[in-house]
Amino acid sequence: MAESQYSFSLTTFSPSGKLVQIEYALNAVAAGATSLGISAADGVVIATEKKLPSTLVDESTVQKIMTITPSIGVVYSGMGPDFRVLVRRARKTAQTYYQTYKEHIPVAQLVRETAAVMQEFTQTGGVRPFGVSLMMAGYDDNGPQLYQIDPSGSYFAWKASAIGKNMTNAKAFLEKRYSDEVGIEDAVHTALLTLKEGFEGQLSGANIEVGVVGPNRSFKVLTEAEVNDYLQEVE
Amino acid sequence: MSRGGSGYDRHITIFSPEGRLFQVEYAFKAVKTAGVTSIAVRGKDSVVFVTQKKVQDKLIDPSSVTRLFKITKYVGMLVTGLPADTRAIVQQARQQAADFRFKFGYEIPVDYLAKVLADKAQVYTQHAYMRPLGVVSMLIGIDEERGPQLFKVDPAGYYVGYKATAVGVKETEAHNFLEKKLKATPGLSYDEAVITAIGALQSVLSEEFKAADLEVGVVCDGPEGGDRAFRVLSTEDVDHFLTIISERD
Repeated sequence: MAESQYSFSLTTFSPSGKLVQIEYALNAVAAGATSLGISAADGVVIATEKKLPSTLVDESTVQKIMTITPSIGVVYSGMGPDFRVLVRRARKTAQTYYQTYKEHIPVAQLVRETAAVMQEFTQTGGVRPFGVSLMMAGYDDNGPQLYQIDPSGSYFAWKASAIGKNMTNAKAFLEKRYSDEVGIEDAVHTALLTLKEGFEGQLSGANIEVGVVGPNRSFKVLTEAEVNDYLQEVE
Repeated sequence: MSRGGSGYDRHITIFSPEGRLFQVEYAFKAVKTAGVTSIAVRGKDSVVFVTQKKVQDKLIDPSSVTRLFKITKYVGMLVTGLPADTRAIVQQARQQAADFRFKFGYEIPVDYLAKVLADKAQVYTQHAYMRPLGVVSMLIGIDEERGPQLFKVDPAGYYVGYKATAVGVKETEAHNFLEKKLKATPGLSYDEAVITAIGALQSVLSEEFKAADLEVGVVCDGPEGGDRAFRVLSTEDVDHFLTIISERD
């Protein structure tokens, strides 16, 4: 294939030792819609803005929060098409694990393998890094966990974090509000309040998406009605 | 003026300093070089799309010029943009649909086909060896579970379902027209959907069309419609609708 013509890496070091393509990828993420995650004592919640470009778009076809396994969900900020690629890879990884061990893949392992894919694309010939940061939430034998994976492939576990356009304000807001004893219901409320901070217009179940996983280890994307109920509790 | 970036960010799909992909943005501009506008509208039990039929030379056989393609019996595709890239993506779509039918034993759903094409488009935005295709595709079909579906796939690998949409030179004006129209009358019948689509095209281009200047493709539920099969309207059918529109005005 013509790929061999590009057997050199496009992501190369600058004289100051920086990998500029990765920095630019982070700029692409920072231009995307805000997403955030909060890890509570008994579960994890992730949420994102779902701003549709026009009223002509059929909202039922847009889904930003994706399930990878029944216990793990993921949301992104940045380039949608790149996100789909990573979701597909993550699902494949999870299924391969299940096929071998007949158990669902632990969150940390899935995160590590997905991050490895993202790192590959910063080093392989002829490709550019992914223009997304991922917020992965899951519940396994180690309890509730929240991970953030960046375009460079580096990942950290977070108690609460935000990515995308409004991340600095959102993170500051979360820092003030977070406490280790917070339960999942409070976490959902906090998530909604944080989104509200940077949101232009009225928050409603139609323009945000929320995903939750609790001790039942079942990751669910909340329906529009459920989101509206939570929003009413927060008002 | 000093600007960051290796200088190659305009030639291949690597990030610019602001995090943009110039090649993808240029691909969008290439779509407009086709010099036409296409419009698609989804109704209660039908989906229609219409495009201008611009034949550059009088010596060209007009019946061989088309941008409407049957992907399967039930899925139609309207491609706007570079003609050669059009052929490439139609071939990919037909291949994917046929493989799906062979592997799984039932017709490919429209949204899945859109996703497959969009994922392929995404690969071109990430791998340097292939440029993005300079086309935007609109896919229509009637899904057994979810009813009429209209999807648009673009060079960035973005795809989403629409109630109505437009592509090409006058797409912004067309979007405004369609937003207003659909807000006033949601849930269009088959006839109204066709009239809306053709009417929108006439309005944004400020032209009176003849049937030979337009290509119209439809999928419609119900026996009169042809039971969900994709078909291109004949000149007589198009004339019929054009007459209705001119009588309304």
